[in-house]
Amino acid sequence: MRTKIPVELIEPAFNPATFGIGRREAIDNLFRRLRKDYPLGLAEVPGYDPHWIVTKYNDIREVTSHDSVFHSADRSKTLASQIAEKLMRDYTGGLPTIFKTLVHMDDPEHAKHRAVTQARFYPQVIAKLEPWVREKARRYIDEFIEKGPGTDFATELAFPYPAEVVLSILGFPREDHTKLLDLTHWLFCYADPDLCRPGANITDPQEIIRTWDIVYNEFKDYFLPRVLARRKCPMDDLTSVIANGEVDGCPINERNLVSYLVILATAGHDSSAATTAMTMWTMAENPALFHRIKENPQLLPGFVEESIRWASPVQQFVRSATQDYTLRGQDIKKGELVYLSYVSGNRDEEAFKDPFTFDPERKPNRHLAFSYGPHICLGQHLARLEMRVLWEELLPRLESVEMAAPGKFTESEFVCGPKSVPINFKLAKQVERAVA
Amino acid sequence: MSDQPYRRYQCVICGEIYDEALGVPELGVAPGTRWEDVPDDWTCVDCGAPKSEYVLLED
Repeated sequence: MRTKIPVELIEPAFNPATFGIGRREAIDNLFRRLRKDYPLGLAEVPGYDPHWIVTKYNDIREVTSHDSVFHSADRSKTLASQIAEKLMRDYTGGLPTIFKTLVHMDDPEHAKHRAVTQARFYPQVIAKLEPWVREKARRYIDEFIEKGPGTDFATELAFPYPAEVVLSILGFPREDHTKLLDLTHWLFCYADPDLCRPGANITDPQEIIRTWDIVYNEFKDYFLPRVLARRKCPMDDLTSVIANGEVDGCPINERNLVSYLVILATAGHDSSAATTAMTMWTMAENPALFHRIKENPQLLPGFVEESIRWASPVQQFVRSATQDYTLRGQDIKKGELVYLSYVSGNRDEEAFKDPFTFDPERKPNRHLAFSYGPHICLGQHLARLEMRVLWEELLPRLESVEMAAPGKFTESEFVCGPKSVPINFKLAKQVERAVA
Repeated sequence: MSDQPYRRYQCVICGEIYDEALGVPELGVAPGTRWEDVPDDWTCVDCGAPKSEYVLLED
């Protein structure tokens, strides 16, 4: 069986602008319909190779736990048009992507590269960072409160705070973080008019690939001197681990090394930022939730987990089938593309009771926001720590919070979260006294 | 019942920890279940890795 999804139904999911509508309602509504009527169907959108659209939680887990069947390295790992894929191959001399990050690898290459830093991200190792992360959270909160009501929580706190954490772990000084944050946005939010590379024509596929190449080279120019310095004189940072890491007894090659640092220096904070911003937006519109968490801090770990499911910043990854495979009765052919909708899996009514309700006591809450299988997010435990510590420090200091102006979502079909969350807030009384 | 202290095992893929003292009751693995008594088809609750991907965690 090969069920086709009507083009007019699925086409909006191929347009980054759809993800910027409201609080992503258009996307939620589209995938709600797909889960009901086309839980696994073939999208034949003009200009794109056919994609199987995987919307169900269990199907996403099945695909992502079969890495040898559903490859990550053979084609673009994110949604790409036929023109974009051809331009990419022309540009790179036949490669499917400019970058070769952990995300773009299959085993055994993936496991060998992941092993270089894996142990640095285990929960018992990350837990030791808590006092250091808490100091950073307090500083960002102080600065945010100092700026006063009306300040944009997304740009002033949610973006820079997790960026500083991971970029400091990598060993990059604070004065460089703004530049690296901009490069992250140029890469992930290339289609958003507010976050794209200044001057870039976001409707021109060739220009988009040129942007990615510019980003790659800017990152390379920044990283390589620091890698060489750390090979001569290793430091106590993650860049030193990667610079001196070995795969099959040899140093990591240049493209893989630059890409390794790129994925840590971008994905290492961007989805945490999106989740944090989305969570504040949610509380600003839901005073009962704000007060419930503020008055019951024991709920915070569950609150953070639900906020990650709720935000689901990574919208999709695309894989290609290495063999014929039957999933949910549909016949996927060797070579065909499979689009995994994580946001849909995390709203799957069969996997989550009342999925459109934010429930900090949801248990179990085994969402897919960090993916599943061998490619599961390396930094998931760091992300949880950053968010828990932030809310532990921030909520006691606030009496109330509300939106100061409408929030805005990023126009991105890849990593998508709020780009603007202006809030008004009142300080808790004991904080007011302390300030006075 | 073994009088050995409970041990913890860690999934090397994602860092998830199986604690013998706690088990995973929601999945039918009772508190106190020794790692060797966890079914062979057990998979990591976080990433789906097989039991063979777990290592003993030295405290």
